[in-house]
Amino acid sequence: MVPISWYLILSAVLFSIGVAAFFIKRNIITVFMSIELMLNAVNLTFVGFAQQWHEVSGQIFVFFVMVVAAAEAAVGLAIIIAVFRARSTLNVDQIDLMKL
Amino acid sequence: MNPMPVSVSYSELLRLTWPEIAVTLAGILILALDLTVLRRASLAARLRSGVAIACAGCIAALFLLGYSDAFASLPGSMLVITPLTHVVQMALLALAIFTLLLSFSIRFTSHIGEYFALILFATVAMMFLVATQNLLLIFVALEFLSLSLYILTGFDKHSRQSAEAALKYFLFGGMSAGFLLFGMSLLYGLSGSIELPKIAAALSGPAPGPGYDPLLWVAIVMVAIGFGFKIAAAPFHLWAPDAYQGAPTVSAGFLASSSKVASFFIFAQVVAVALAPVAGSGAARAYTPGWVPTLILIAALSMVVGNLAALAQTSLRRLLAYSAIGHAGYMLLGIIAHSPRGLSALLYYVITYALAVVGAFGVLGALESEGIDRIADLAGLSKRAPGLALCLLIFLLSLAGIPPLSGFFAKFYIFSAALESEPHLGLLWLILLAVAMSAVSLYYYLRVLKAAYVAPAPLDQPKLRIAPATRLTLWILAALVVLVGCAPSLLLNSLGIR
Amino acid sequence: MHLALFLIFGALCVAGALNLLLQRHPINSALSLIVVMSSLAVLYLLLGAEFLAAAQVIVYSGAIMVLFTFVIMLLNAGREERTRGSKMAYVIGFPGAAVLLALLADIFITHSGEFHRVHAGEYVVSTAALSGVLFRDLLLPFEVTSILILIAILGAVALARKEH
Repeated sequence: MVPISWYLILSAVLFSIGVAAFFIKRNIITVFMSIELMLNAVNLTFVGFAQQWHEVSGQIFVFFVMVVAAAEAAVGLAIIIAVFRARSTLNVDQIDLMKL
Repeated sequence: MNPMPVSVSYSELLRLTWPEIAVTLAGILILALDLTVLRRASLAARLRSGVAIACAGCIAALFLLGYSDAFASLPGSMLVITPLTHVVQMALLALAIFTLLLSFSIRFTSHIGEYFALILFATVAMMFLVATQNLLLIFVALEFLSLSLYILTGFDKHSRQSAEAALKYFLFGGMSAGFLLFGMSLLYGLSGSIELPKIAAALSGPAPGPGYDPLLWVAIVMVAIGFGFKIAAAPFHLWAPDAYQGAPTVSAGFLASSSKVASFFIFAQVVAVALAPVAGSGAARAYTPGWVPTLILIAALSMVVGNLAALAQTSLRRLLAYSAIGHAGYMLLGIIAHSPRGLSALLYYVITYALAVVGAFGVLGALESEGIDRIADLAGLSKRAPGLALCLLIFLLSLAGIPPLSGFFAKFYIFSAALESEPHLGLLWLILLAVAMSAVSLYYYLRVLKAAYVAPAPLDQPKLRIAPATRLTLWILAALVVLVGCAPSLLLNSLGIR
Repeated sequence: MHLALFLIFGALCVAGALNLLLQRHPINSALSLIVVMSSLAVLYLLLGAEFLAAAQVIVYSGAIMVLFTFVIMLLNAGREERTRGSKMAYVIGFPGAAVLLALLADIFITHSGEFHRVHAGEYVVSTAALSGVLFRDLLLPFEVTSILILIAILGAVALARKEH
């Protein structure tokens, strides 16, 4: 018997690690992976709340997030390949043709 | 266990989505033709057929919209169609047509079919986005739109900046999607529903979900961050200048216009419908927590950051990008007003803004073939291409808010709606800030026009040659900006302001 | 039993996520992300989401992460270097994430009494029930997703292809 709030805390931990990794990691692919980690954390929240309300739409939401994440991964990795072709680097700091 | 919602009737679904289906079919047709019959045809022929089919699809959708029911909805708030969503969908289709006409002379890609299909599919995503009040479809349509925009941004394979712009847009967009989803999951956790009206009912009812107060606050902030990225409001604007600068010009115009219209409308829907019970107030002496004060903060920051940073730009596209951030600040005032009048003012603002921005990027696209990107390069434009310079003048002065152009009335309506929203002129300080920042924006727009009209022309440069389709589209856009400005009631009546 | 499974796989999740953050080589980060995703699948089972647990393993730790490792291999990504940007990122990233975590954890802990407790097998969504909702009530988002996948294919091909 585990309170749902524990699952939510776990998902908050994962989400925060994802946010930290998004800022700290220097390799574009790893930065993208930290976005996936954030999405996974949110999915756990959805499933947890679906259990809380005994309601199916939270689980359906996760299903759609998975599909969208898969599509996003395909496009994102294609963009990363295009950038690597143009710049021969995967370091975020060296992707700086335009000033901020 | 909650009762299952009533099932959707498939024929009803089909009937209500005919306009979207028409646009989708046009997209698939372009793809099929371009990859089969037209494979060996010349680039110009493929462009012509692509624009023709795409425009035909959009016009068919416009007619279908005109003949469909004014009010309709599907169970689960999946589709909620009102006269207002009709107007927004029509505006989106019109903007798509202008974008398509301006892409007659694109030279940056040989994937013509994919390019036009992407523009059409992105339009479909936006049409669904504005017509739904269900968090699930909002998320799917928003990600659909974002994915198409990432691809359109990175479409120029010959430019290293294009890929880089797509990467930055993609990474920030992906993170914002994470925040938006987190906010949505908390709203679901607080209400047990993913339909905007039911969320509102649960939040105002006697027994909202666990941890109501603080969780709601986190949800509001997360949703604001998520949408703040999509509408490029400060401090979530970091991707915008790079995306505007690196993207192919037509894509940048599309990104800056259509997606703004759709994102602002759905942002207003989410906060005004789902979060209506917890609006709060940001008035000077009557502060109550809620989403209004959060948005006031973002709006004030966007106005200041966008307009001040625009002063320092030398590249025209970056200038437009920073001014877009400033405009996002003004447009947020329409959401902050939190009234039907505010929503109408917001839509008038964002639609007229989109017309002017599509036009401005169209002018940039025409100039780009001559290698003009910096403001200083505009010198002598009024001699080399008087028509183009006049169009640029109209678009920029409208963006600056000079009467009688539409930008002036847009600012007037949105400021007055925001001012009326609080008793005792509670938001006067914010409006004064907005007016002051508009004055600042006038300075940098005039700087561009000074380069185009006053600066001495470099010697013996030939007249610019501009494709007839581009010229015609720009004239139509300029005429619309003037017309809607001189007779605002044309648009206002359909938006519900008397 | 439930508690033990939650503790084991919850700890695995956090360990995997931390490892993703601390590893310098992208392939190690990818492998730790697979650990996170697979452990999440077990947690979904505990929460009564059978279908999602299967989909999590197949779609996330299967398809998506294979794509990631494939691209890492393709681009021959090496260890990441520390550059000037990374110091600034530490200054923003760690405190920002820590504040976020503290806030959320505080809310969930102080209000934990208001949440239900999960009894194993009490509320399980069967695949049949899920697909019923998916194809009856949520047909529209499902169809919209199909176009979304189409543009993802188009876009991935157009972007990753070499221009002649």
